[in-house]
Amino acid sequence: MHTGTTNQVANPNTVVWNSPGIWITYSILTAFMHLVLLSMPWFTTSVAWTLTNVVHGVGMYFFLHTIKGTPFETSDQGKYRYSTHWEQMDSGTQFTAARKFFMTTPIVLYILASFYSKYEFTHFVINTSILLLSLLPKLPQLHGVRLFGINKY
Amino acid sequence: ENGFKRPAKLQQMDSPLKQFQEDFEPTPLYMAIITYINYGVITLFGFLRDFLRKHGFEKNHASAEAGDMDGFVSLYASFENFYTRNIYNRLHDVFNRPICSAPGPVIKIMEREFSQSGWSYKFTGKVLDGIVNLGSYNYLGFAENSGVCAEASIKAIQQYGNGVCSSRCEVGNLDIHAELEEKMARYLDVDACVTFGMGFATNSMNIPCLVGKGCLILSDELNHASLVLGCRLSGANVTIFKHNDMKDLELKLRNAIVNGQPRGYRPWRKILIIVEGVYSMEGSIINLPEVLKLKKKYKAYVFLDEAHSIGALGATGRGVTEYFGIHPKEVDVMMGTFTKSFGAAGGYIAGTKSLVEHLRAKSHSACYATSMAPPVCRQILSSLEVISATEEGKRRIQKLASNCKMFRQGLKKLGFIVYGNDDSPVVPALIYSPCKVGAFSREMLSRGFGVVVVGFPATPIVEARVRFCISAALTEKNLQDALDAISSIGDILQIKYKK
Repeated sequence: MHTGTTNQVANPNTVVWNSPGIWITYSILTAFMHLVLLSMPWFTTSVAWTLTNVVHGVGMYFFLHTIKGTPFETSDQGKYRYSTHWEQMDSGTQFTAARKFFMTTPIVLYILASFYSKYEFTHFVINTSILLLSLLPKLPQLHGVRLFGINKY
Repeated sequence: ENGFKRPAKLQQMDSPLKQFQEDFEPTPLYMAIITYINYGVITLFGFLRDFLRKHGFEKNHASAEAGDMDGFVSLYASFENFYTRNIYNRLHDVFNRPICSAPGPVIKIMEREFSQSGWSYKFTGKVLDGIVNLGSYNYLGFAENSGVCAEASIKAIQQYGNGVCSSRCEVGNLDIHAELEEKMARYLDVDACVTFGMGFATNSMNIPCLVGKGCLILSDELNHASLVLGCRLSGANVTIFKHNDMKDLELKLRNAIVNGQPRGYRPWRKILIIVEGVYSMEGSIINLPEVLKLKKKYKAYVFLDEAHSIGALGATGRGVTEYFGIHPKEVDVMMGTFTKSFGAAGGYIAGTKSLVEHLRAKSHSACYATSMAPPVCRQILSSLEVISATEEGKRRIQKLASNCKMFRQGLKKLGFIVYGNDDSPVVPALIYSPCKVGAFSREMLSRGFGVVVVGFPATPIVEARVRFCISAALTEKNLQDALDAISSIGDILQIKYKK
């Protein structure tokens, strides 16, 4: 697994979410995480669902919008060193299938969490703020934007 | 002459000698899911270990910048080495194994002892002897330290010395170079040939001579780094077509010709299709008859890189053109290397006289790079002599073909998923999971076989594999023992996916 050899694409991070079976794996892992939370006896169903939504949203924000660059050396001379994983996906092309998948999963989880928490106010506030945290960084208008210089370099 | 008869007329393209077939079975879904989960768990633990190292709970063995660099932009991003630290280091003993013998059918490997999850190692002093070599590009078995070729090379050292100390354009043009180029041109049945000291540099220095700005290069997805570098250095526009996919190539050709250059829609000055004869990571052979059909239809040029196929394919080892029964004059630029089948170093480009004269004058490699060393030239000349004009050469080529067939059928019978063309000397067997990749290599070494494994990011994330390179020097017994070892490891690791 030489990290510096040539690949089919200069940066494998750009195409990893188009690999066969990865969407199913992602869904299975999210469902598994939810079942783990659901199985804890001190969480009610509402709390478990909201917690799933929160963990998913925070995890997604951390891995897709905070970490920059690639975990291996690429042969494109550091083109994506300051780009988050979301910006690297499909080399920056918007509205591809993988991006639509990642836009859909927070929405699906939000709908399920709202339903299972019976639309209570506290849960609503938490779920909606997590939804905004998941969706806003993915907007094409915010591609490459760093607010207040956070996470710039 | 060389004892090879060419058909008087150019071979008709409608009935090629060989029916083209290749096989790329897609990853089974359950295995893809398991592989992703593997990488996910390793990555999560990688983040955890990085966290522990950063905050001092675990000793950090990586190098760090000097402490008084406040306010300076950091020299390197430590995240770029995440993979090396957390994944590659765990498999460290599987790569870069030091060999202390000739890379023949049986090698000696120096044993290493790794410490601290792969951060450092030391040599134990023991040498593992009798390891069967399934990883070297020793297709015709010329990696020998005794025999006709070695004797001839030693005499060449006594005559010419070791080095040339000059480039071809200055004082480094020896008579042995001219002899080599003439013999190579006659072997390939083309007008002329020019050789260079380094195979990688042959591609990267000469593609810029052939194409430039305003030209289009259509390059296969899986082309080697030297071709990719040559394409980038040339300044031409590069379009990539899907591996061995002739429909995709035709579509891209048509689009390119119809649309012309990106801004201004002017017609392209030249269109060059760059393909390889045998792709070493996939074990596939290029669909050359179709490429030449497209070339004729759309008036493009073809650059064929025969690094792995010269000497290894074809009835007399003349490469992928002979394999398909095509006359080499149909390919505009034939490039190859002497590193694999000839057991030497360096590369050549062959074609029409005008092409070769142009390269001799304009190539950076010819002007600025040192020319090929005389013992290397003599090694190529003697191995060429053996391949083309002796019974021994014929025997080796036939042995390579029968070894390939036996090994590939053997692997398929055992139930492994094998990629590529049945006739290629490179046999990749898929393992998929990164953990099994490491385990496979270590188990093979403990049973006395040296193999090369590759994983992400050198291959796609779900296609980690072990790549066997068949050699004419391997005996039937070697290969049968290898197959038995692979079978027993395959049962332990559950990598016989076809069953």
